Amino acid sequence: MSVVSEPVPEAAVVAAEIRELAELLPLQGPITAFAFLNPLQGLEHLPVFDALRQAHEIFGCEPYLRESEYRDLVARGRITAEDVQEILQQELGVERRSVAGLIELHEMRLSQLLKLVYPVSLNELDWVLAEADSLRRFQSTIPLEHRERLLNETRHWLQMVETSGESAALQLIRSVYRGGRREVSEQQMESICAGLLWKICLQRLESVSAAAGSAAGLIRLRDAVLAVTGQDPDELVHDVLSGFCAGWLDQGYAQWQMPNRDSGFVAAFCAVYGQSSTGQRRWLRGLPEALQGLCRGAVSPVESICQSLSGLAVGDADRRSLIRQSLLALRGWAGMLWQTETRPDRVFRSSPNGTLTEFLAVRLILDRLAAEWLIREHSGGRKTVGDTVLQAVSQTAQQQPLELTARYQAFVLLQLAELHGWSPQQLFELSEEGWSELAGAAVAFDQLERRRVLHLAFEQHLSRQALDAVSRRATLPLVVPQTPQVQIVTCIDAREESFRRYLEEVCPEIETFGNAGFFCVPMYYRGAAEATFTALCPVVIRPQNWIVEDVVYSLEDSHRQRAVARRILGRFSQRFDSGSRSSVSGALLTALLGPLATVPLLGRILFPHFMAQMHSTAGQFVAPPAVTRLRLERPEGVPAGPHDDGIGFTLTEMVTMSERSLRDIGLTSGFAPLVIFMGHGSSCMNNPHESAYHCGACSGSPGGANGRALAAMLNDPRVRRRLRERGLDIPDETWFIGGLHNTATEEITFFDLELLPSSHVGRLRKLRGVLAEACQRNAQERCRRFDSAPLEIDQQAALLHVRERSEDLAQTRPEYGNCTNAVCFVGRRGRLRGLFLDRRSFMMSYDRAQDTTDSMILARILGAVIPVCEGINLLYTLSAIDNRGWGSGTKLPHNVTSLLGVMDGASSDLRPGLPWQGVDIHEPVRLLFIIETTAESMLQIMDRNPNVAAICRNGWAQLAVLDPQSSRIQRFLNGRFEDYEPRLGQLSEVAASREWYAGRRDHLPFALIRPQLAVVGAHEALVE
Amino acid sequence: MLTFAGILVVLSPAVLVALFGISTLLRTPVGETVYSRCTAAAVSTGLAAAVWILVAMLMTDDRQVEVSLGDWVRIPAAAEQHAGEPPGGAVGVSPHALDEPHFHFTMKFMFDRLSVPFVIMTFVLCGVISAFASRYLHRDGGFQRFFLFLSFFLLGMILSSAAGTIETLFFGWELVGLSSALLVAFFHDRRGPVVNGLRVWSIYRLADAAFLIGAMSLHHLSGSGDFSGLAGQGVWPEGRVDIPQQSVLLVGCLFLFAAAGKSALVPFSGWLPRAMEGPTPSSAVFYGALSVHLGAFLLLRISPLLDRSPVLSGLVVLLGAVTCVFAAMAARVQSDIKSSLAFASLIQVSIIVVEIGLGFRYLPLVHIIGHACLRTLQLVRAPSLLKDYNSMINALGGVAERRSALEQSRYQRMYRFAMNRGNLDSILDEFVVRPFTAALLWSDRLERRWTNWLSGENK
Repeated sequence: MSVVSEPVPEAAVVAAEIRELAELLPLQGPITAFAFLNPLQGLEHLPVFDALRQAHEIFGCEPYLRESEYRDLVARGRITAEDVQEILQQELGVERRSVAGLIELHEMRLSQLLKLVYPVSLNELDWVLAEADSLRRFQSTIPLEHRERLLNETRHWLQMVETSGESAALQLIRSVYRGGRREVSEQQMESICAGLLWKICLQRLESVSAAAGSAAGLIRLRDAVLAVTGQDPDELVHDVLSGFCAGWLDQGYAQWQMPNRDSGFVAAFCAVYGQSSTGQRRWLRGLPEALQGLCRGAVSPVESICQSLSGLAVGDADRRSLIRQSLLALRGWAGMLWQTETRPDRVFRSSPNGTLTEFLAVRLILDRLAAEWLIREHSGGRKTVGDTVLQAVSQTAQQQPLELTARYQAFVLLQLAELHGWSPQQLFELSEEGWSELAGAAVAFDQLERRRVLHLAFEQHLSRQALDAVSRRATLPLVVPQTPQVQIVTCIDAREESFRRYLEEVCPEIETFGNAGFFCVPMYYRGAAEATFTALCPVVIRPQNWIVEDVVYSLEDSHRQRAVARRILGRFSQRFDSGSRSSVSGALLTALLGPLATVPLLGRILFPHFMAQMHSTAGQFVAPPAVTRLRLERPEGVPAGPHDDGIGFTLTEMVTMSERSLRDIGLTSGFAPLVIFMGHGSSCMNNPHESAYHCGACSGSPGGANGRALAAMLNDPRVRRRLRERGLDIPDETWFIGGLHNTATEEITFFDLELLPSSHVGRLRKLRGVLAEACQRNAQERCRRFDSAPLEIDQQAALLHVRERSEDLAQTRPEYGNCTNAVCFVGRRGRLRGLFLDRRSFMMSYDRAQDTTDSMILARILGAVIPVCEGINLLYTLSAIDNRGWGSGTKLPHNVTSLLGVMDGASSDLRPGLPWQGVDIHEPVRLLFIIETTAESMLQIMDRNPNVAAICRNGWAQLAVLDPQSSRIQRFLNGRFEDYEPRLGQLSEVAASREWYAGRRDHLPFALIRPQLAVVGAHEALVE
Repeated sequence: MLTFAGILVVLSPAVLVALFGISTLLRTPVGETVYSRCTAAAVSTGLAAAVWILVAMLMTDDRQVEVSLGDWVRIPAAAEQHAGEPPGGAVGVSPHALDEPHFHFTMKFMFDRLSVPFVIMTFVLCGVISAFASRYLHRDGGFQRFFLFLSFFLLGMILSSAAGTIETLFFGWELVGLSSALLVAFFHDRRGPVVNGLRVWSIYRLADAAFLIGAMSLHHLSGSGDFSGLAGQGVWPEGRVDIPQQSVLLVGCLFLFAAAGKSALVPFSGWLPRAMEGPTPSSAVFYGALSVHLGAFLLLRISPLLDRSPVLSGLVVLLGAVTCVFAAMAARVQSDIKSSLAFASLIQVSIIVVEIGLGFRYLPLVHIIGHACLRTLQLVRAPSLLKDYNSMINALGGVAERRSALEQSRYQRMYRFAMNRGNLDSILDEFVVRPFTAALLWSDRLERRWTNWLSGENK
């Protein structure tokens, strides 16, 4: 913190800075529309590892796993020594550099990464030094010959120095060994040797590394107060702000709305805190006075911020960091304020423009009050804010972290010396340059660097597995059914990998495709029993069309009756809910009906499956009638809108959308008689994060309606005629059906079946049998990841198990979502068919042969697929690395607040991101894109699309291309494509997926499923 | 036979505590299933025994079953004392019999119309919650710790519900307090839960102090801590006390204070919403259902005192009414489900207290049971809020804006009061904590100066 006073900065500059820094806030909107976005999107313009290092400083979250966790991965074989070596080679180059003539840099780093017995962090150092025997005994792992040599050389040196009497060396030796007695046992010698090494390292390092270390940045006043008083002003401030923000953002849960809610953040804050109230907390007693300017409107929020900043005597350079840190201190709430301000279409009660600025103005005032109060309390009123800041600055300057780091490095060098047999004499006689080289090499490879290299090795291991498997599979022929009986298009989602694999295993005549789950039909959708529109498309798109589901005319009466019944039930449940929380009616309800609550309580918890069945049976009486239609078409020329006339697509829009949807996945010829567009959703109980299990490409909603809409469009003869004019010939006997795959319960729903031509009925009946079998097998494979399902569970039991999970009130893991994702393949399914990918790969269909020469189709696919999949992957990955920091922590104390999100326990910051229970089996790696195209096309696409370029070039995802004609793979490393050498070694081959995963819970290597590779013959045909 | 059932009711949770406690102390790695099965077994045994007692009582019209585990501490009236008699297994001997000792601590349990429903409710809710938690906490690092605390809580609840003497009640009461505070601070790696756990703990200590003084005075006045002795010949709720009115008022006020602390009545209400820090199932069973009603239970237990003193009853009604108004206002501004349910619980608890003060006995009992079940269900389902709300909106066909009919400035004032939760916490801090710590710091300084002077240091 600088003490120079600056002129009041331009308000406009500050306002712009706030807007800019708001990019760093969490990107999650309301939790009911879970957005899978890179938590570090604001830093995407930087290379990923620079960004992670920065993020570590800015957010205080861990960028990688802990060193000990990587060591565990090494022990479990998820990282091998070769992986580490390979990464070191990439980093250091092939050329070997020697450090101080003692060791090669390469080898030194390898030892530091894998061989040190105590890979301690700075914080653990003193404990290890005190508790472990490391300063008196050699590490247990050092090679025998080094041990012998060290002991002999030390003995020899001792004798030599004793006789020569060299003063410096003698002095040193005397500090660990008094001499005298002739006979020194081996154990004593070991202790002498280790002691000598430690002393030497320590002495020499202290003289060498005098430069490093600066006073930690005291940016906010809070840091100074915390350093001096030991009490955190943020605790006081956040207690007030969390509660207030929750009330302000409340979407309608509280019975009383905040006064002046609609007049803005400051106005509402003034209404609540602008006047003194009896018994107010002491530190807040000055608040009404401090707020006066803001409340009266005499000072604008930005001016108030400027005043607060100038009160803190902040220089221009520090101002930005101060604003940033003040915004990020309560980043969950601040982020939600910003989201509701910038995306008002996603919430019921949005925030007016400037809310975030007003929040900051209020926050800075509270910061000052809290700091002043704590200082006064601490010093008994003797000190001012200025004194405290000065004291804090001098305190941190005094606290020399130097000594600790020197000891830390000395400890590292001591271990290295033992491992590599550097004798005390060698180190003692090492020149000054030698020492600075040695120390420099050790310092440069700090804790974050080591973790980064280990992380790269971890990714390398998995990427190699994937690339080897793909390249091996690519040498084998393309597998495509000659005359496919059914084509099923599913979402790109990693969960559908196994589903598609089983469909193909059960019936080889099925051809599957992958597409983003909204099937290129972005829309606002309202179901027949729904009151509001939901956006069904990726978060980044704003739909231009509104679609509603209507009950067919003939059932309208029953629809109306049931709607009335639902309304009555709804009103009853609303009354009951609010009644049970009020006084008089609450007393009547609880006393009279309370004991009846034991029925659902016991039922839901002890017999979840039975209760769920009862519930759904009862629900059927009031559900809207089963026969419904989408209101899909609106006349040309009528503007779209959420009103009656504006519902639907125009014919032209339908043609464009359906053409794009088919061309993207390369389904332009060879149509099967049945084509299914299978969206997906999930269902679970008692889970605020439910939306995170739905389709990510539909903003966290089930994607059934999109597939249904697309199928209806493509069944329209007018659309087909127009498509035919554009060269897309759909045969007359082809029929499209929309469906929904429930990824939790493994249930399949089809839509608009009453329109199915009778010629296709038999085919569909057979298909249902296939689907049922595939779902069972899929459930069985999923069960291997659940500890509570026995490993030897059979298919039927597995299906029951996954259904029970989704109906269980107490279940925190109804399914694992996209957890464990690691790869994204973009290319023809035929090239990977028969490869067991362990539900770890997103799969997008794309056929280069059908693309234009300048890859227009691929460009538009990747423009969506790369950011979307990268976002999903990084959200999982960062949440798994530091769940408290990037994710939302454990679900157990979560408390749904403001109908927008969750917080921990009684009151805390809002917790966006994924909970621990959603990521506990995730392997945190950056996604590896494998795209079936040429390197040149890929480079062209990167040049054209800055977003894709930023992600690929800055390394936010790994990238490789698979040659469309051969098995050649090129990896994108350091800005260019390099040929990938697949490791030799056979990919395991099995007869069926089950055979490969049976009895195993952990991550599996990829494998080939042999029968799948056979060219499809006359297998049990689906034709009647 | 009934004595055996009575022992079983108390013994099953005690065995559970011993089992979990010992395995934790020995650091034996025990799997999750073992924990949940043991809990289920203990709860079902206890529940079966309690139901047995209930059925027997209904059939034989026997309204009170006493089970005594003998005197655990006995200080004779005579000067020479042989303290600390080992826990005897003797059963059913009335300690009143021969020579009246100076003080004796009897482990005695009483099953009557008040305790049996309470015991059954405790077993049912704890059993359901443990079944819930065994899935909810799956793979959590604190799984074993949670079940250990839950078993302590269960034992505490059973001991205090079935207590036949004021000391036994206090023993159970302490266990409940301890396990509650520990479960509030369950996530001890964050600051918030620990701070709030400490706050809950401090308020419980205050309440305990009042309880202890009250229990001692009662002992002094009636010669023993037995409820049956206190209630004269009558069986709950028809007992009569023969203690002077003034003393009744004094003792009653102390117990009321204790009950207020435990049941979060004004001015202690601040801790209840803060206690929602632990895992959802513990919040449900503790602050929604069982431990929050313990204060009301105490008032019911000492109801003969209330019958004796109209002034005391008036105080009870007043305290309940004030709390009710306060909680009803605070509940209306809560925007998160757990705080909202905490205040909703408080409303009902305060109404129950009012009912007790007004002289009802069975009504509050029914009210407690109904409220506990409903609130547990609501709290356990708290994470469903978004889904429930959404389906409600869909059924109703849209959101209705709620507007207050109150005039603006008055509305603001009330909102402010509710939002600040009446500033009860800061008032306690101001008028209790501050003077208290100031006094301690002052004595500390005094002592320092004194010892410095003694040791001859000039500072």
